[in-house]
Amino acid sequence: MKKPIWILAVLALGALVLAQPKVFKAPNPSESPAYGGDFRDVSTSDPKTFNPFVAKETSSSDVISLFLPWLTDYNPYTGEPEGLLVKSWEIKNNGLTIVFHLREGAVWSDGKPITADDVIFSAKVHADPDVGSNSIKSFEIDGSPIVWSKIDDYTVQADFPKPFAPALIQGWSIVPKHVFEKAYAEGTVTEMWDVGTDPAQIVSGGPFILDQFVQGERVVLKKNPNFWGVDEKGNPLPYLDRYIFTIVPDINAALAKFLAGELDLYGARDADQVAQIIDRIDSGKLDATIFPNADVTTSTNFVFFNWNNEDTWKAELFRNKKFRQAMAHLMDKESMIELALGGLGQPQWSPISIPAKAFFTDDVAKFEYDPAKAAQMLAEIGFRNKNAQGVLVDASGRALEFRLATNQGNNVREKIAQLFAEDAKKIGVNVKYAPIAFNELVRQILNTRDFDAILIGLTGGREPAFGRNVWELDGPLHMWNYGPDFESFEILIDKLMKQGATTLEQSKRREIYVRFQQVVAENLPLTYTVAPAYNPARLNKIGGLFPKEQINSLEGQYPYNYPVTVFIKK
Amino acid sequence: MTAYIIRRFLHLIPTFLGATFLAFLVIQLAPGDFITRLELDPSYDRAQIENFRRLFGLDQPFTVQYAKWLSGFLKGYLGLSLSYQTDVWQVLKPRILNSMVLVISSIVFVYVVSIPIGIYSALRQYSWGDRFWTTFAFFGLAVPNFFFALLMLYFALWLKDTFGHEIFPIGGMRSLYVDGVDFFEAPKWRQWLDVMWHAVLPVIVAGTAGTAGLMRVMRTQMLETKMQDYVRTARAKGLSERVVIYKHILRNAVIPIIASIGFLLPELFGGAGFVEVVMAWPGLTPLILDAIFSIDVYIIMGSISISVVLLMIGNLLSDLLLAWVDPRIRYS
Repeated sequence: MKKPIWILAVLALGALVLAQPKVFKAPNPSESPAYGGDFRDVSTSDPKTFNPFVAKETSSSDVISLFLPWLTDYNPYTGEPEGLLVKSWEIKNNGLTIVFHLREGAVWSDGKPITADDVIFSAKVHADPDVGSNSIKSFEIDGSPIVWSKIDDYTVQADFPKPFAPALIQGWSIVPKHVFEKAYAEGTVTEMWDVGTDPAQIVSGGPFILDQFVQGERVVLKKNPNFWGVDEKGNPLPYLDRYIFTIVPDINAALAKFLAGELDLYGARDADQVAQIIDRIDSGKLDATIFPNADVTTSTNFVFFNWNNEDTWKAELFRNKKFRQAMAHLMDKESMIELALGGLGQPQWSPISIPAKAFFTDDVAKFEYDPAKAAQMLAEIGFRNKNAQGVLVDASGRALEFRLATNQGNNVREKIAQLFAEDAKKIGVNVKYAPIAFNELVRQILNTRDFDAILIGLTGGREPAFGRNVWELDGPLHMWNYGPDFESFEILIDKLMKQGATTLEQSKRREIYVRFQQVVAENLPLTYTVAPAYNPARLNKIGGLFPKEQINSLEGQYPYNYPVTVFIKK
Repeated sequence: MTAYIIRRFLHLIPTFLGATFLAFLVIQLAPGDFITRLELDPSYDRAQIENFRRLFGLDQPFTVQYAKWLSGFLKGYLGLSLSYQTDVWQVLKPRILNSMVLVISSIVFVYVVSIPIGIYSALRQYSWGDRFWTTFAFFGLAVPNFFFALLMLYFALWLKDTFGHEIFPIGGMRSLYVDGVDFFEAPKWRQWLDVMWHAVLPVIVAGTAGTAGLMRVMRTQMLETKMQDYVRTARAKGLSERVVIYKHILRNAVIPIIASIGFLLPELFGGAGFVEVVMAWPGLTPLILDAIFSIDVYIIMGSISISVVLLMIGNLLSDLLLAWVDPRIRYS
């Protein structure tokens, strides 16, 4: 293959300027990438800001991470920590101190070098409680600060208050100090880089530069010629000229755009959308590929009971492991997948997200759908007779009934709850199901505690240690039981979570989290239901994407957080 | 008349205070606030959540929050959006302008289409034409806006399949490229042409319900006026049918319609509704929906207060217009 001379020239120049580039590995080495072209993606809502200290949701932070670099992230192929702006690191002091070496030669798009000063400044602003950055959680462990200090221009050091397993993952945006410093000193740092800012003033240290933002319509980013990344052959990245997000609030409208060939990627929500895409591909009107059910997403749906119920009869019932296991036997996960998820999804039995392969295990207790078994277990805990309404009663004549709520408007959860309530009714458990508004649900869980059972979900992720607020005894999301009486298995879970977060060796960590999943699946403080499928689709002209067998919903369709390996086939 | 106008303006003050206070109260009555969604994120500690509340002023009593907002409003400042961390007006302005393209076009569409049809239907009552338009009116009023918009999107897709190229765009307001150059570098008239091309389908969707409604109003008005004594008198005088219809019937029949023009004022600043969400038109509606979901109080309040002020002015304007077109009405 012959390369134009200018590419060689750029290459030579790049090698000269950038002594220590980061090599981004392509998912499919047999492809030969081409430079140029627009990559068209979609987002359901506008970025609200370009300021990483202000961003409160993914529609903003997804865009920001394209132009503000992180120190490290997970390797998309192995799931292990990997340097981005960081070239290498040393772990010292039994894991309490980590020294990060930055890439020398990396520059901001305005030509100034990216140095330790930028990193230390950014850490200081993120950690400042008066700024209100969402990333503040990356700078504290149980209320004690992680201390960042500069060693020299290209070396920084982080000191942890205790050993912390995910310490090597430092995924927060680094800003150019020379741009933000003055505003921070004046206390106006949150006014920087709002949506009205001229894109030309926004400095980039990532693969793309903000080029255009039309509110409610699109975000256009162009390639950063000074980016510090190269491919395995040493060619400068990214390949794309422009990365364009079209903002389409309605998912059906986004589908129509993909069907018309106006979007390069799409994630089909349900079986109906998958069918529409397949139809169009088969009729030859769309040159695309779809992988239905390629993986499941990290979102979860689970039922939990209120052990702190004011009604002591109910509180005691909900605390009974046998009762919870009987309820699990009433969950017809196959029908839930069929009816709530449109046929695409997987049953979930334990708390760690199925795509988090480094920790996930399938070797846990499974209480499969079995109403007869459920009835038998309920009889064992005293519900032997039925009253005139056909509801099971205990020896004192109290009927087995409780309320179940989920958040209104979430069709998947509403259907799961209905299916469960119907199946329960068949054996004489009266589940009074009613959807309520999400914020009201949160209030009931965290403040008023006046619920019986709730079906809700938490977004999972790769790192189980980040779930500590759910599983540790004093965690604010220990939703089923805020104490003071804890069961022995809850204390065990608390211990496992603390161990998992402070053990550094990967194989030992896996053992701990496997045990954790087994304890949860056996005791069911949260009873998991089904996880929706991930059904990625793409136009065939797009290269540099994961082939089918490598697709996982944590990464998406291409490796790394930004489309640096993506190119438009010629 | 001047005294009347001044008096009406003074009435606006308590109405405005009452309306905005009520709106603020209703937003607060709904459970949760801007930070609630972070509370179910396992990666935040309680102290961090409380700190966010403090920074956004959400820990203060709501009367204090309202007073702060009101004092800002009086100085012409709509407040700081919680999610955008910038002046609310800066967020609202481009969206209102985008929405206006749709709203103005659909108002023109509604009036141009429905008044002639209404007249026709009334003059040929129970004819086949009248029946056809009546059926159309019921359809127009009955079909939900968002569903009609979705049908239009698939219609555009179907057109594209049938003709091999885009007859109408599939959502959006501007093309990425116009004649091979970036939209914002194209000549101004080409930009406008492109926006109008994108507006065709949304305007039809946004205008259909209005057209159907106004058509019926116009028809009823005409029918009612037709029965009046002065019309019989005019005919008895031997005036030509043309003069009777246009000078005697029509001019009296349109009075309430002209009077209602004042009410269009708040509509201009209120967004074109759900069609904007479905057809990815970057108008006010998707922004407001987003703000409601995330309980960004000041965006919601900004939009409500603008609407309230315009509604009140529009109301006044309607009354004045009425006095102008109808000699029987005088204010003193």
